[in-house]
Amino acid sequence: MTVAAEAVLSPAAEALRERVGASALSGRVTVLDRDLPTLEVGPRDWPALARFLRDDAGCRYDLFLDLCGVDNLKRRAGSTRFEAVVHLHSLARNQHARVRVLLADAEKPSLPSVADVYPAANWFEREAYDLFGFDFPGHPNLHRLLCHDAFVGHPLRKDYAPGQRWFFAEEDIRMPEWSKETDVRAGHFETQTISIGPAHPATHGIVHLVARLDGDRIVRAETMIGYLHRCFEKMAEKHHWNQVIPYTDRLNYISAMLNGVGYVRVVEKMLGVEIPERGQLVRTILSEFSRIMDHCVCIGANLVDLGALTNFWYLYQPREQIYDLIEACCGARLTVSYVRVGGLAIDVPDDFVARCRGLLESIPPFLDDVEKLVNNNRIARNRLQGVGVVSRDQAVAWGLTGPMLRASGVAYDVRREHPYDFYDRFDWDVPVSNDGDNFARYLVRMEEMRQSLKIVRQALDVFPARGEVNSSDWRVVLPPKDAVYHDMESLIYHFKLTMEGIRVPAGERYEWIEGGNGELGFYAVSDGRGGPYRLKIRPPCFPNMAAFEKIVVGGTISDAIATLGTLNVIAGELDR
Amino acid sequence: MSGVIDVSRKVPPKLTLAQRLYLPEILRGMSVTVRHLARNLANMKRLPTILYPEQKRGYSERFRGKHILKTREDGSLKCVACYMCQQACPAECITIVAGEHPKIAYEKYPVVFDIDMLRCVFCGFCVDACPKDAIWMTRNDQMAFFTREDAVFSIDRLRETKEEIAEHGYGYRPYYPGDGTTPPSDASLLPVIPGTGERDRLREEGVKLPDRDLGAGPLNAPSQAQKAS
Repeated sequence: MTVAAEAVLSPAAEALRERVGASALSGRVTVLDRDLPTLEVGPRDWPALARFLRDDAGCRYDLFLDLCGVDNLKRRAGSTRFEAVVHLHSLARNQHARVRVLLADAEKPSLPSVADVYPAANWFEREAYDLFGFDFPGHPNLHRLLCHDAFVGHPLRKDYAPGQRWFFAEEDIRMPEWSKETDVRAGHFETQTISIGPAHPATHGIVHLVARLDGDRIVRAETMIGYLHRCFEKMAEKHHWNQVIPYTDRLNYISAMLNGVGYVRVVEKMLGVEIPERGQLVRTILSEFSRIMDHCVCIGANLVDLGALTNFWYLYQPREQIYDLIEACCGARLTVSYVRVGGLAIDVPDDFVARCRGLLESIPPFLDDVEKLVNNNRIARNRLQGVGVVSRDQAVAWGLTGPMLRASGVAYDVRREHPYDFYDRFDWDVPVSNDGDNFARYLVRMEEMRQSLKIVRQALDVFPARGEVNSSDWRVVLPPKDAVYHDMESLIYHFKLTMEGIRVPAGERYEWIEGGNGELGFYAVSDGRGGPYRLKIRPPCFPNMAAFEKIVVGGTISDAIATLGTLNVIAGELDR
Repeated sequence: MSGVIDVSRKVPPKLTLAQRLYLPEILRGMSVTVRHLARNLANMKRLPTILYPEQKRGYSERFRGKHILKTREDGSLKCVACYMCQQACPAECITIVAGEHPKIAYEKYPVVFDIDMLRCVFCGFCVDACPKDAIWMTRNDQMAFFTREDAVFSIDRLRETKEEIAEHGYGYRPYYPGDGTTPPSDASLLPVIPGTGERDRLREEGVKLPDRDLGAGPLNAPSQAQKAS
């Protein structure tokens, strides 16, 4: 057991150190106390540690959140060139932890796959293989995931020059090996393999599902994604901290505000900047409205796929009204770019509270109408109930979060378990269901919209009539324009911030919020420059989509379409 | 304080016979849709849909549309080619080439100021970055082009015109009426101080000026005494 440099560990890290010290892994794992309890381990001991963290009664890290690579080539930190950074959550103890797997071999970085321990790791490992070239011995299906199959090199390595183009031809499309074999069973029709997508109207975005059909039932499926990959993470490394904000709008573009709020949160935590209450509340209110939009689109589009077009119109009307409000605040409906590190781009308009209260009145009737049309509708019930069932254990093993996890009976909502902003001050409930089917997800989302309205109502009650929305730390926030025009010192701050970016202290941080469809995490590494050294987003719909090929097996194609709708997969966030 | 509610309790798990018969539920559903229809017919003016493009939806005062370059009293651009917007642009769509202005009071001016509207993401960072109140945005969201070259707007299409503002109105800008911001003073109203080109002409006329090129900036201007001698 290596004793960490800092003598006093946080209780969580101390407890983890004791548990690990008492186990067979003692001496091979270093426990550090960072923003999260952090364990450092070599690749050889990683599977044993993963198993230990999942099964040990004092750890119980059952939810696999994220795995990403870090290339230390261009910074003076880290003992090895490559690291694989894993984030885990313990539902029983409500605790996050980080594992850093140090990969000593810079030529052929390799660590054993833990897809058998944490099924959710499957896609995350493929992503790290794709973007960093990590090898995962024992992985069941180690192929590129986000980049196409004719891509050469590993784009997130620091020595990969951005801007290279690799031509992708139709014959380069990789079809799964199993899909090429014919499967003829005695006394049975031959099964056939079909492609749903890449550009299929029901996939709402470009997603390729290869399915083997036995009659109308899917017996095997594999999803291929990455058609909307634009290397958000590499772009972030080339920009200043604030310049990343317009890029975050394009992650989950259905609820763009939430991404920005989640992103600036990690930067603000690294800087130690506090935002005035008014600014925080504006973020909370618009985040909750964005969540409503997210659920409106998800439910509306899902019901359209089932043939219920009217609900789509009823749900798009509140969305339109919310867009109007957001446009009045920041000047754009969809690509909001409203938040800034340390506050907001601009204070809200004078009629903000009145408009929000108007929305609180106008939205519920639409939700009532949808419930009247759907809840006891026999067709909707037959299409949704008992379809796409995910059990509690499956949901946890597949790393699902958000409405997907809550519909499977786990009351994990980041706003409640890890209250950020003012969520612990408000009175609201987390909707859960134990059914785990598509109908449960529909009900959870409908109730979440009502709970979001409840949060907004309470936030408006305590909303300060006037006051600052931005931090007054001019090393972080642009000074007011009046000062820039007439005061030399402010102009210097303005110039330094614009030209050099915010100087974020070197270090790393993981911050997470409740996004529209689950835990939206940002893992940022700073080397003290004006921009991120490494920025990893943990997209909530990524594990959802990874689970899709398992959920649909046994159902019909039409069930698969209904299930895909309830997963709420947003390609911008999925492919980044 | 937050609790947990089980939403599966909110709806009966099994449908009743009447609901399974489907027809009564159709009627119930139609009562909802017909109510919407009646309300929309009675109130056509407040329909959520509009007849685009004949009708247009107004945007707020903060809408981030096409950029304009603000001008001084004498019609020259307020821009001093400091490159701050070019640096702040996350889409790298602004290209500036600076030139030295003949009047030193203006210091520099943009010989080229191009915005590639196909690259632009309309985030408004250029407006935030400008220390000279030189770039604003309008509510113009309709810029169609036939070629990529056409999408690169140069100064002649970015310079503020009365017609454009009358048609679309100002959008996102560094300050709004009534927020207490005093705009920076108009450099064209300051006394004219000779620049490089002007100095050469003055020397030819026999005015005694320092030999060294003083560079830009009003502080480096020749004093009245030098001019007089």
